[in-house]
Amino acid sequence: MRLSFWTSARRISQSFCLAVFLWLFLQTEYRGVDQLAYPVSLLFRIDPLVALADLLAPGPFSWQILWPALVVVLLTMLFGRFFCGWICPLGTTLDGLGKLVGRGRKPFSPGWRRVKYYLLIVTATATLFGVQLLGLFDPLAIFLRSLTLAVYPAYNYGLNRVFDLFYEYEVPVLSSAIKGSYPVFRDHLMAFYQPIFSLSLFTLIIFLVILLLERVEHRFWCKNLCPLGGLLGICSRYALLQRTPQKLCADCQACDSLCRSSAVRDAGHLRSECLLCMDCTGFCPEERVRFGLRKGTENQLAVDLQRRGVLTALAGGVMLAPVVRIGPVTHEQNPYLIRPPGALPEEEFLQRCVRCAECMKVCIGRALQPALFEAGPVGLWTPLVVSRIGYCEYNCTLCGQVCPTGAIAPLKLPEKQKNVIGLAVIKKDRCLPFAKGVECLVCEEHCPTGKKAIVMEEQDTLVDGEIRRIKFPRVVDHLCIGCGICETRCPVEGASAVRIINEGESRRKRSGVSAGPYG
Amino acid sequence: MNQIDRRTFIRQSIRTAVAVSAAGCLPTLDLLALPAHAADMPQLAVRKGQDVPLLVRETLSALGGMTNFVKSGDIVVVKPNIGWDRTVEMAANTHPEVVKTLAQLCLEAGAKQVRIFDRPCNDERRCYTQSGIRAAVEEIKSDRVSLEYMDRRAYKELAIHGGQAFNRWEFYMPAIEADRLINVPIAKHHSISRLTLGMKNLMGVIGGNRGRLHHKIAESLTDIASVIHPDLTVIDATRILVANGPQGGRSEDVRNTETLIASADMVAADAYATTLFDLKPEDVSTIVAAARRGLGVMDLRQMRMV
Repeated sequence: MRLSFWTSARRISQSFCLAVFLWLFLQTEYRGVDQLAYPVSLLFRIDPLVALADLLAPGPFSWQILWPALVVVLLTMLFGRFFCGWICPLGTTLDGLGKLVGRGRKPFSPGWRRVKYYLLIVTATATLFGVQLLGLFDPLAIFLRSLTLAVYPAYNYGLNRVFDLFYEYEVPVLSSAIKGSYPVFRDHLMAFYQPIFSLSLFTLIIFLVILLLERVEHRFWCKNLCPLGGLLGICSRYALLQRTPQKLCADCQACDSLCRSSAVRDAGHLRSECLLCMDCTGFCPEERVRFGLRKGTENQLAVDLQRRGVLTALAGGVMLAPVVRIGPVTHEQNPYLIRPPGALPEEEFLQRCVRCAECMKVCIGRALQPALFEAGPVGLWTPLVVSRIGYCEYNCTLCGQVCPTGAIAPLKLPEKQKNVIGLAVIKKDRCLPFAKGVECLVCEEHCPTGKKAIVMEEQDTLVDGEIRRIKFPRVVDHLCIGCGICETRCPVEGASAVRIINEGESRRKRSGVSAGPYG
Repeated sequence: MNQIDRRTFIRQSIRTAVAVSAAGCLPTLDLLALPAHAADMPQLAVRKGQDVPLLVRETLSALGGMTNFVKSGDIVVVKPNIGWDRTVEMAANTHPEVVKTLAQLCLEAGAKQVRIFDRPCNDERRCYTQSGIRAAVEEIKSDRVSLEYMDRRAYKELAIHGGQAFNRWEFYMPAIEADRLINVPIAKHHSISRLTLGMKNLMGVIGGNRGRLHHKIAESLTDIASVIHPDLTVIDATRILVANGPQGGRSEDVRNTETLIASADMVAADAYATTLFDLKPEDVSTIVAAARRGLGVMDLRQMRMV
C-alpha cells in the first residue's frame, strides 16, 4: 500500500495529539506550585460529549471551560469526523495496538453501527431527565480512566520494582546508571507516590475488552459503539468535505474491504461513518480518491437509524431516569459517601460528573477513589474520599482545578478550608484511650484546622483496677471539615478508630441552618 | 604443655572458624561502639537575637565553632523539622534561615556533603516548599548541599538493646550512617509529650507506624534516642508554638522568643528549652526518661552555660 501524504499527515497528527494528552496527563500532578500551570483537562474541554452532558445538566452551560468542544462541533460540521481519525486518543490507541492483538478483517454486521446512535440517544435522553450516563461511554473518559486507574499505577509499580532491584543488588555499570536516572523519573515521568486505586482491575478489563474488539474488526468500538462517534456522525451529516468517487468503482471495489470504517458503499459515501483516515487516497490503485469541498446537496447518504429503533432508544432513556431516581437517597443510605471539597449537591454532582478520573489522578493525598456501587447504581467511577487510604490535604485545591465540568467547583483556598466534606466520629470501642486506657493523640496532632477540631480532654479513668489520668480525644463538630487525616493516620490496625461520615457536609441543601445540621 | 594431635588441631580450627563466621554473620549493630557521652558537665549555648543567620553563627561560636562538630570530608545530615504544610510564621517547622546557616557553617567547616531531610506528616513536596526550606537551601547554590526526599528503600530494622517500649524499629540508614548528625528541631507545644523538642524531632528519621510511639511516648522516644545519637542539637526557638501544636496554623499561638539553644547534649538542650514555655524539665516525661537512662543531663545546674 502506498502511503499517501494525507495518511502520513493523519498519523503525525494522531501521534502528536496522543503525546500532548500523555504529557498533560503527567502534568496532572502537584509539581511544587499550588495552581496547576497547564490546562491538564484539555482532553475533556474539547469533548463534545462532555459539553452535551453539561448542556443537559441543570444550571447554565459552562462556556468558559467548554468553548473548545463547540469549536470541535463546528469543525465537524464542516469537515466530518476528523476528531475520530486524527485526534481521539482512544482511536489512536486502537490503531496503534490493533496489530498486536490481531485485527479482524471480515466486515461485521453493518446493522451494529446503529448501536452507537441508540446508545447516544438513550444516554442523552436519560441525562435530560436527570440521570447522566454519558461519561460511562465517553471514549475520552474511558481512555483517561484506564490510564489513571490501571495503566499508570501498573507502570509505576513496574518501574519501581526495577529501580528497587538495582538498588538492592549491585550490578556493575548498570546499577549506577539506573540509580542515577531515578530522580529524573521520580520528578518527571513517575507519580511521586505509587498510585493506589480500588477499581484498577475492573477498569483495565473494560479497556481490554474494547481493545480486543479489534479482533472482530478494525475500530469496532468507534464504528459500532462509541456515542461520541455517534454525536460527531450526526454533526457531520451535512459536512462540506466530500470524497470522490462517492461510490464503489465497478472495476475495483478495493474500498469495500480496505476501508476501516466501511464508509464507501455501492449507494454512496457515508459521511457520518467516515473517520477521514485518508488511507483510501493511498490504497486506491488508480489514485482516483480525492477529498474536496462539496458542491450542491446531492448524495446525503446516511445510516438509516430506523424509526422503531430511535423510538425504542428514546423510550429507554425516558424510562431509565425515573426508575433510577425512585431509589432511596444514596447519601442517606451510605454515611461514608464523601465527595471532594467543592462537589455540588449529590444529585447535581451525578449529573455533571463525567467520570473522567482527572480528580483522582491529581489528588495529592490519594484520597479520591472510584466508586463501584457506594454512590448508588449510577455512581460508577465517581470520586469518593476514602480517608483510610488517603486524606484531603488542607492547603490543596487541585481537584477543583482539574474538573472539566464544574461537578467539583474550583474553590479558592480560604473557601476550601471552610468547606465541610464530612465529620470525624470517634469509635470508642476501638479508640485506644477509650477502649484500652492507652494514651494516643495521633488524630489531634494531625488535625489541620488552626484551632483544632479534635481536642484532648483529661479525665480520671479506671484502668486495670487503678485510677489513671488519661487524655481522651473529642471532636469539636463545628470546627471539623472532614478532611480525614485523622482516619488516615489513626495508628490502630485495620479499620480506623475515627471515621469520617457525611453528616454536616456543606454541599447538602438544608434550610435555616448556618453551620452544621444542628446549628 | 599439652600436645595436640593433627586431627584435634584441624577439628578445633574448623570449629573456631565456624563459630567466628557465625558470630560475624549476626546482623547486630554494636551500640556500645558509638561515642560515649561525656561524663562531665555538658556545654549549653543560649543566644538571643533578631538576625537569624547572625544568631546561628553566634550560638555556634559559643560552642567553639562548627569545626568542633564537623570535620573536613564529613558527610553531615542536618535534620530540621519540616513536618507540616505550614509557612514560616506559623512556627510549625524549623526556620529556613536556621537550616540554611547551619548548612553553610558545615560547608565552611569542610563537610564533603550536607544532606537535609525529614519525614513529614503532610505531603513532603508541599512541606518542603511551604516551609521555605527548599528556597533557602537552593539559595546556598552548592552541589554539596541537598534537600532530599527520604528514600523509602533506605529504612532498616535495627535492634534496640535495652529498649523499654520496643526492641526493634525501622531506622533511616542515611541518618545513622552519616559521619555527623545535626538535630535542628523547633520548640513547640504538643498534647501528649507536652513539648516537642530535640528528642521528638528524631521521629523524622525512623520508619514504621510512628503513631504507635505515642502510647508510651517517654519510653518510646528514649528507645529511639538510644540508637540515634545526634552530634549536635540546635533548638530553633526564634519563634515558638505555645498551643495547637505541633501543627499550629494560627498566629495567636506563636510567641517570638528570638532564642537559639545549642548543645552536644540533646537532653540538656531539651531541658533548657522547657523554660521558654514556663515549664521545668521535670514536667516533660520524655526528658525525664532520657536522663534516667543516662542519655544526657536534665538538671539545669549541671550544665555549663557558654
